[in-house]
Amino acid sequence: MLSIAEIKRGLFSYEEVSGGFVASFKSAGELLKAAEKTRQANVKQFDCFSPCPIHGMDKAMGLNRSWIPVLTFIGGIMAIVLGLAYIIYIDVFNWPIVFGGKPFFSWPAYVPILFELAIYFASVFTVVGVLVLGRLGFINRKPPVKGVTSDVFAIWLGDKNLTRSDVERILSGLNAQIEEVKS
Amino acid sequence: MATEKSVYHIGKPFAAMDDDVMRPIEAFPTKLWWGAFSVSAALALLGVGTILYSFAVGLGIFAINNPVGWGFFIVNFVFWVGIGHAGTLISAILFLFRQKWRTSINRAAEAMTIFAVIVAAIFPAIHIGRPWFVFWAFPYPNERGPLWANFRSPLLWDLFAISTYFSVSLIFWYMGLVPDFATLRDRFERYKAKSKLGDILLQMKALTYKALALGWVGSAKTWHHYEKMVMLLSALATPLVLSVHTIVSFDFATSVIPGWHATIFPPYFVAGAIYSGFAMVLTLMIITREVFKLKEYITLKHLENMAIVILVTGMMVSFAYTVEFVMAAYSASHVEQYAFINRLKGPFAWAFWIMFTCNVVSPHFMWFKSLRTNIKVLFVISIVVNIGMWFERFVIVIISLHRDYLPSSWDTYNPTWADYAVLVGSFGIFFTLFLMFIRTIPSIALAEVKADEANAALSHH
Repeated sequence: MLSIAEIKRGLFSYEEVSGGFVASFKSAGELLKAAEKTRQANVKQFDCFSPCPIHGMDKAMGLNRSWIPVLTFIGGIMAIVLGLAYIIYIDVFNWPIVFGGKPFFSWPAYVPILFELAIYFASVFTVVGVLVLGRLGFINRKPPVKGVTSDVFAIWLGDKNLTRSDVERILSGLNAQIEEVKS
Repeated sequence: MATEKSVYHIGKPFAAMDDDVMRPIEAFPTKLWWGAFSVSAALALLGVGTILYSFAVGLGIFAINNPVGWGFFIVNFVFWVGIGHAGTLISAILFLFRQKWRTSINRAAEAMTIFAVIVAAIFPAIHIGRPWFVFWAFPYPNERGPLWANFRSPLLWDLFAISTYFSVSLIFWYMGLVPDFATLRDRFERYKAKSKLGDILLQMKALTYKALALGWVGSAKTWHHYEKMVMLLSALATPLVLSVHTIVSFDFATSVIPGWHATIFPPYFVAGAIYSGFAMVLTLMIITREVFKLKEYITLKHLENMAIVILVTGMMVSFAYTVEFVMAAYSASHVEQYAFINRLKGPFAWAFWIMFTCNVVSPHFMWFKSLRTNIKVLFVISIVVNIGMWFERFVIVIISLHRDYLPSSWDTYNPTWADYAVLVGSFGIFFTLFLMFIRTIPSIALAEVKADEANAALSHH
């Protein structure tokens, strides 16, 4: 069984870049190759940092499919079900009044409202999902090297047993600038 | 793909792009900016002052009467909501269609959406007469009975549509900004203040951007979810934006007023919204690129593309005008037929002919490449189109309302100084917000521009 503390750690903390090595590159292409090589070298703890999203990075790093679409779907469905229940409670039970000769439960008139609610909650669930799964909101978090929000493409290899020569071997053939990270 | 790359490829080092885009934020504003800001802030004050005055003395200072109960309020409301639509079209629909040229105008266009919706929302709030009770429109459990909102009313649908539209646009815009705020946050290290006060201000600024950046470090694990989010929010915003003006048109179309009760209204309103919205984007982009030296990012090709969108949607709008007349002629309802004769020949015929000239005639200049690549011509046309679109809403609201069924109930409509003050003030509020945006927020979606450049390089190797 997962304890609450474990779930909290799993969802509401981020992977600290401490220990291991950071290799920086000048282009997205090199970082993509570096990620591929790092994964093939069976490094367990690693992450890439870049100023922009890079096509094919998920595959190169071997990331699982994102859960975000599932959250979006849940948000949308939830909004429709709860919204409809609320409207039925109001129009049929709490305040049954005839408007323009229409039945108390006049569902076609509810479509626009339920549609807007679905969009709203689907969007909110999507964004909250990204904040949680993408580990955003820890405002003191610092990039591992300077410039990854500008023009540097970097990969961090964090496994404890790695040495500098291991990293050099894994990233051989690429134009990497390797730095050790203090733990 | 190859030709597309050559047109929109900026080909600068990323660090130089950062400098270009952050310059308006980091440098002291130019005299031109101060001039524009003073004018728009003065107009905004005039508008806000008039609105506050109306709260004190009541709606009598405006020209609304019986039968023209909607007046300038709803004309302005529909106009500003329509302006907003182009931003979402650029950020969501053109994203789904993989239109690369949207990238560099996306951020500013979306900012325009948000400001336009804020301005639009002011009008129904004043129009209800007692704006301090505006929250009564929301269906929340209350102690006034049971007394609930009417879920069958298009006005309530509109409330839901506009609030959803505003919220979703805002979070979409903000999430798009997070990586750029991080870029800005990491640039603050290089600044040194000259005085103690300057240092405190700098610290405050740095802390603000740090908080706004949400601790973004550009991790691939975050990008992975983030990119899914951009795709999903675009997919959600696309039907949303179409629904918003559809629902706005329901406010008219579900009524029985001649000239309003038409099934063509939803597509007609959506086309009109995109038409006027793109004209406004064009106006703003021409100003932005000239004033802030962003010509490499917002190129002539971008402006030309927008001109083509204006041409297409302009013809859709013209088509809708024609269909309205044909439907009226064919309706066998003399009241409906009179509503349209009244447009052509009635006391407000001048408004109809302004609308016709601006909206039906002026977009056709865009057929000619020499004209649609001429910035001066584009600028003039973009403003002419928005004048026309404002008059379109004037024609719909005022002409239909002032003469409907019973001639004994007919009346006229004479806008007062307060109506004009609020109209002018709405432009003031909008431009004030936009000018503040340019000074404080990266006006070009840097991370997206970089992604286009980096990934284009990837596919070419």
